[in-house]
Amino acid sequence: MRQETIDEAVTVRADFQGGVVTPVAFRLRGREQRITRVNARWVDRVPRHPHWYFSVTVDTGDVYQLQLQAGDMVWWLDTVALEG
Amino acid sequence: MDGSGERAGHGDPVRRNFEDGVVSDADVAGMLGPVGATRLEDVRAGGATPPPAAPDNAATSTDGGRARPGCKAERAARPEACSSHVEDRAAPDNAADGPRSAAVLHVDIDAFFAAIEQQRDPRLQGKPVIVGAGVIASCSYEARRFGLRAGMALSEAKRLCPHAIVIDGHAQVYRCFAETIFDRCRAIAPAVETYLDEAYCDLTGTERLHGDLLDAARRLKRDIRDLTGLTVTCGLGPNRMIAKLAGKTVKPDGLARVTAGEADAFVRDRPVEQIAGIGHAHARTLRSMNVRTAGELRALSAEALVRLFGAPGRLLYERCRGRDTAVVHEREIPVTVSRETSFHRDTADRAEIEGMLEYLAGRACRTVRELGVSPRTIAVRLRYADGEWIERARSLAQPSHTDPVVLALALELFAALFTRRVALHGVGLVLSNFVATTAEQGALFDEREAGRRAALYRAFDGVRESFGHGVLVSGRALRLKGRLEQDEHGFVLRTPSLTK
Repeated sequence: MRQETIDEAVTVRADFQGGVVTPVAFRLRGREQRITRVNARWVDRVPRHPHWYFSVTVDTGDVYQLQLQAGDMVWWLDTVALEG
Repeated sequence: MDGSGERAGHGDPVRRNFEDGVVSDADVAGMLGPVGATRLEDVRAGGATPPPAAPDNAATSTDGGRARPGCKAERAARPEACSSHVEDRAAPDNAADGPRSAAVLHVDIDAFFAAIEQQRDPRLQGKPVIVGAGVIASCSYEARRFGLRAGMALSEAKRLCPHAIVIDGHAQVYRCFAETIFDRCRAIAPAVETYLDEAYCDLTGTERLHGDLLDAARRLKRDIRDLTGLTVTCGLGPNRMIAKLAGKTVKPDGLARVTAGEADAFVRDRPVEQIAGIGHAHARTLRSMNVRTAGELRALSAEALVRLFGAPGRLLYERCRGRDTAVVHEREIPVTVSRETSFHRDTADRAEIEGMLEYLAGRACRTVRELGVSPRTIAVRLRYADGEWIERARSLAQPSHTDPVVLALALELFAALFTRRVALHGVGLVLSNFVATTAEQGALFDEREAGRRAALYRAFDGVRESFGHGVLVSGRALRLKGRLEQDEHGFVLRTPSLTK
C-alpha cells in the first residue's frame, strides 16, 4: 500500500442534504470519478476555519482523500492510496 | 491502541481551543454525519442487560497523593486481553440513597492508529496493519495475533508477520479523531482528562442526569461508533485505576463495571504490572521477590514498599488494595514532555549521540515554549543495544525552556550515564516539573542577554512553524544530516509516538 500526494484543487459534486456534506463525485484531470463509498470523515478544527476530510473509494477501486476547507469552501484532492 | 508509548511523557495535551466559533461542535458533528460505511450495529456492549447485584456502597480511600495515570512502561506492559463482553457486577447506582461514591469512566480507543487506517482504506480491513516508522506505534488486532505489539522494532515485526502492511502514520488525522471522541466524552462528564488515545471521565454525581452510568457508557460507545466508526473499550469504577483495569478485562469494544465493594477482590488477582505506577523496573524487582499479583504485593508493608520504591511505595500500598485517590482533572499542562528515538543503527559514536540529544532538546524545548511552560527537571534515558536501559534526572537551578540551557544539562547527564562499552540502541530526553513561563530569568547583569535569547528562540519557533522544524538545525545536530531521513517536520524519529 503506497500513498501518493496529489494536492490539487478539484471540482466536487456533493450532497449537502440535512446539513451533512457527502461528496458524490469529483473531476480529476478531465475525468469524473464517481464515489462509491465514503470510508471515513473527520474534521480538523485547529486551523482558523475547520477543514473537513473524507476518505472515499471511487468506482475504479482507488481510495482518495478529499478535503473541504470551510474558509473558502474549496475542495482539495490530497492523496491517493494505491495497492502494491 | 495499546501498549504504545505514544503517550510517553503524557506529552500531548490533546485539549485545544475552539477557535472562532464559525461552526459549533454540534454543527461540525452534524456536518460530518455518521461514517458512511459504518452500519449502525449494536455495539457488543449494547444489548446486555445488567444483572442485579449488590448496591454500590463502599467508600473509597481518603489517602492523599497524586499519581501519574499510567506511565509509558506501564502502558508498554499492558497485555492484550481480547475478550469482548459486558461485565456488570452491580445494580444501577442509586444516587438518592446513601453516600455518593465516586464514579470514573475510562475510555480507551481500540488499536487507535491502526483502526483509523483500516477505516480510511477498507482494503486494509481484516489484514495485519502496522502503523509506525522504525518501531510499531500501533498495530491492528489481526497483527497482534502474530505477537506484534507497540514498541517492537519493525524488523522484528516483519520477521514475525512478513505480510503485515506497514503505514508511516498520520498524526494529524489521529488527533482529529481523538478530539471528536473526547468531545463526546466532555458532553457527558463534567471533567475529562485526556491522553493520546484514552480519557478518564469523572461521572461522580451525574447519576441523576444519566440514570444508570453503565447505560450512559453504552450510549457513549454507540455515539462514538456512529460518529467515528471506531470502537472504544470502557471501564467504570470507583476510581481511575479500577476503571482502567476494568476496561482491560474486556478489550476490545467491551464495557465493564467494577463497584467500590468489588474493587478489593477485583484487584487481588491482577498482575502487578497492571497497577498504576509499576513499570518494567518495579515489576522486575517484584518478580525477583516472587511477587506477581496485587494480592501477593499486599503481603508487603507500606514501610517495606517505601524502602523499595521510595515515596511512591506508599501509593502502591494503597493501589494494590484497589484504592486510588488520584482525581480526574482537565490538564492544560502535561506532566512530562519527552522526545526519544532509536538510532537507525546501534551506535557508540558520541558525536552522533550528542547530535541527536541536541536535536531532541530542540524539539522538546519548542514544544514546552508553545505550551508556555518551563521545565525544572531534565532526564536523559539511554537504551543499550543489549536491552539494558538507564535514566537519570537532574533539576535546573532555574526553570528554563531555552535549548542551550536544557542541552547543557542533558549533555552532562549523558556524560555521566554513558559509561558502558556497549553501543546505544536509543536515546531520549524527558522534561518535567513544569512551571508557567514568565520571563527567562538570568543573572542580575544577564537579563538583557536572557531577553535577547528568548526573542531569538521565539523567532526560531516562528520560522519552524512556517517551514518545518528541520529548516533550522543547530550545532551538533548538523552531524545528523545525511545520516537520518528528513521530512517537513525535521529528522524522522524512530519512536512509538507519531506525534513527536
